[in-house]
Amino acid sequence: MGEEPAARDTPADPSHADAELARLRELLFGREQRELSELRARLAQVGFTPERLADELPEAIFRRTDRGDRQLAIALAPSVQQALGESVRKHPSTIATAIFPVLGPAIRKAIGEAMAGLVSSVNAGIGQSLSLRGLQWRFEAWRTGVPYAQVVISHSLIYRVEQVLLIHADTGLLLAHVTSPELVATDGDLISGMLTAIRDFVGDSFSSERDVGGLTSFKVGELGVSVEPGPQAVLAAVVRGPAPASLMAKLRETIESIHLRFADPLAEFEGDATPFEPSKELLADCLETVLQSDARSGKRTVTWWPWLLGTVALASVLTFFLWQRASEWQRAVARLESEPGIVLVHADHGWRRSRLSGLRDPLAAQPAVLLAAGGLDTTRVDGRWQPYVSLDSTVVLERARRQLKALSGVDLALRGDTLEARGAAPMSWVADMRRLRVYPPGVSHIDLGRVEPELSTALQADLDTIQRRRVLFAVASSQLTPRAQAAIDANAAGLAAVDAELRAVGRRVEVELAGRADRTGPDARNQSLSADRAAAVRAALVAGGIPAGSLTTQALGANAPLSENAVSTLGEGDVAEEDVAVRARINRSVSFIVRVVRNEQAPTPER
Amino acid sequence: MIQKKVCMIGVFGAGKTSLVQQYVHSKFSEKYHSTVGVKIDRKSVEVEAEPMTLVLWDVAGKEADEDIPASYVRGSHGVIFVVDLTRRETWEELPALAGLVQSAAGAIPTVVALNKADIPEQWVISADEEQHLSAQWTTIQTSAKTGQGVEDIFQTIARAMLKKPGIPE
Repeated sequence: MGEEPAARDTPADPSHADAELARLRELLFGREQRELSELRARLAQVGFTPERLADELPEAIFRRTDRGDRQLAIALAPSVQQALGESVRKHPSTIATAIFPVLGPAIRKAIGEAMAGLVSSVNAGIGQSLSLRGLQWRFEAWRTGVPYAQVVISHSLIYRVEQVLLIHADTGLLLAHVTSPELVATDGDLISGMLTAIRDFVGDSFSSERDVGGLTSFKVGELGVSVEPGPQAVLAAVVRGPAPASLMAKLRETIESIHLRFADPLAEFEGDATPFEPSKELLADCLETVLQSDARSGKRTVTWWPWLLGTVALASVLTFFLWQRASEWQRAVARLESEPGIVLVHADHGWRRSRLSGLRDPLAAQPAVLLAAGGLDTTRVDGRWQPYVSLDSTVVLERARRQLKALSGVDLALRGDTLEARGAAPMSWVADMRRLRVYPPGVSHIDLGRVEPELSTALQADLDTIQRRRVLFAVASSQLTPRAQAAIDANAAGLAAVDAELRAVGRRVEVELAGRADRTGPDARNQSLSADRAAAVRAALVAGGIPAGSLTTQALGANAPLSENAVSTLGEGDVAEEDVAVRARINRSVSFIVRVVRNEQAPTPER
Repeated sequence: MIQKKVCMIGVFGAGKTSLVQQYVHSKFSEKYHSTVGVKIDRKSVEVEAEPMTLVLWDVAGKEADEDIPASYVRGSHGVIFVVDLTRRETWEELPALAGLVQSAAGAIPTVVALNKADIPEQWVISADEEQHLSAQWTTIQTSAKTGQGVEDIFQTIARAMLKKPGIPE
C-alpha cells in the first residue's frame, strides 16, 4: 500500500511515464484497439476461399433468413426454379420419390375437403330414407328385381381385410406380412413373388409406361386384392367383400408412412427383411381399422335391419307354430265329435293344459288314443268322460256282437232296429237266439232267416238211425207184423224228438216213405203191393202221432231194389245172411227218407 | 432371414422347370408358365451356417429369337442360366440373354447349369465349346433326371449372392 503513493510522486522517471501512459490507453481504448487490429487482420486477407465460404454460407443464410426480410428468397427464387425444372426434366423419378410421401396427404386433404360436404349430404339423405322407408326400399328392390344389396350397398358394406403384404417393388420379395388372427397364414413369400410377376405381366402387356401404377386391384370371387404401389415398396391387401374407398385411402397412408419411416432400409434392401419387422404394426393397423365396418353414417339404420328381420322371422315362426297348434286341436276335436259313442260337451284349449269333457259309451274308442293319433300331446289334455249307452249303429252293432257272443261264421248287420244275421251257426246258438227275450239296447228284432243251423252230431246220428230202420213185410203181404209195428213205433218216437229239436231252430222234418216189393210176381202186383205197404206204414205213423202233412209215400215196386249195402241194415239176427233170400227180404220193405226243411209255419219272431 | 430373388433363364425346353421341380415343392401349377410366363417357387438353403430363402423365378422359356420379359429379371440378386447340352441354340443364346440380364438387373452372380448331363451320348457340344463356356462362366453339369448337380447349382448361386450382393445399376 505504501509503495503506490511513492510511485505517483516520482513522475520524473521517463520510462515509467511511458508505461503509465500505455496503461491508461489500455484502460480507455483497449477494447476498441483489439477490434481494430482484428479488422486489420481480416482486411489483410480480403479474398474468400471456397473452404471458408462452405463454412460460412449456411450460417450466413440462416442469419439472413432469421432477420425476417425476404431479400434472400427473392434473390434465390429464379435459380431454385431453374434448378428444379432441370432436375424434374432430367431425373423425374428422384423428385417423385422425394415428394411422394408428402404429395399424397396434400392431394387427399384438398380433395377430401371438397368431397366432405357432398358426402355428408348424400349420407344424410340415404340415412333418412333408410330409417324411414327401409321396408319400402326392400319392397322396391323385390318389385324392380334390382338386388337389394345394390339399393343399400353404400351402407351395408361388410368386408374384412384378411391379409396385408408389404412387397419390395423391384425384387418382389416379401418385406412384411400380416394375416387376420382368425385366418391361417398363407405362403406370403410365394404370393408376393407371384403377385409381382402378375403385375409385371399385366403392366408389360397393357402399358408401355412402367410408372403409371400398373395393376391396382383385381377380384377372385368374394376375394379382392387391392394393391397400393409406392416407389420402392408395394402394399397389397387381400379383402373379402367389397373394399370401400376408405380402405384404399388407408392403404395409401400406410405405404406413405412406410416410405417415410423405412426410407433407408428400403434403399439398402438386399434381401434381409429384418429391418421391416416394425412395419408389421402399421400393416396390422390396416387389418384392424378396416375390420370394423366403416358404415359410420349408416350404422344405426343398417344395424336395425337384422333385428327387424329377426323379429319378423320369429313372429312368423311363432304364428305358424300357434296356427299349427290350433288347427291340430281343431282337427282332434272334430275327430272326437265324429267318433261314434262319444259326445263332446266341452272342449277348452289352453296354453299349457287343455280340457275335454262329455259322454262316452264304454264300447267307444279311447279319446286319448284318438288324440294321440291326431298328433296331440295327450299328457297335456285332461279328459272327463261320463259313461252312457250310445244308440249309434256302430256301437249298437258292436254291443250286439259282444252280448250275443257272435261267432266267427255269423255276420251281423243292423238295418233300422233289426239285427240281421247270416251265415252258418250251431243249432244251440240259433236256438238261444230264438229263445232270446231281452235284446241289446238299440235292437228290436233279430232276423235269423239267413242263418243256416248246423245240425248237431247227435241229431245227425238220430236221423241216420231212423233212415236205416226199415219196416219189413212177409211175402206178398202188406200186413204189419208185430216186429214191423215195433220199428214204426221206434221211428215215430225218434222223428218226434228230432222234429221237436228242429222246430226250435225254425226247421222241421219231412219223411218220405218208400215202399218196395221183391222181384217175384208180376210188376203190376209188385207196384200195388209196394203202395199198400207204404200206406200201411204212413197210417201207423199218423196213428203214432206224426203229423200227416209231413209224411209222403212213394211206391217203387221192384224197380229200385236196395243195394247189397243195405243188407247190414236189416236188423239183429239177419245181418250175416247173404243169400238171395235175404236180398229179396230187404226189398219187401218200407224205408224212411228224412229231410230237414224250413218250418214255413214257424211262429213270427217272438215278442 | 435373408431372401434372394433368383431368376432361372434359358430358351424353351432347356429344362429349367425340371431343375426347379427337382429342388422344391412347388405351390403353383405349370399353367402359370403359359399364362403369366413365370412361376414362383421357393427353397430354403443354408449357406455358411446362415439360413437363406431363395425365391426362384422360373421364367418361361422362349424361342431363341424372342426376348424374355425384362420386368421379371429386374431386381434379381442372382441368375441361373440353363443350357441343354443336347441343343446347340441353348448356349448360343447365352450372350444375348446375359446382356438382357445385365441391363435389367446389373452385374449379378451368375451360374450356368449344363443340363442333361446324364445323356452324354446325345451331347452336341464340343470339348472346346464346353471349355470356352467354363472359362467364361461358373458352370455346373446338372441332370434334372438323376438329380446330379441340382443341389450344387443352388448352393453355388446362394454362396455367390452372400459374398457379393447383386447391386442393380
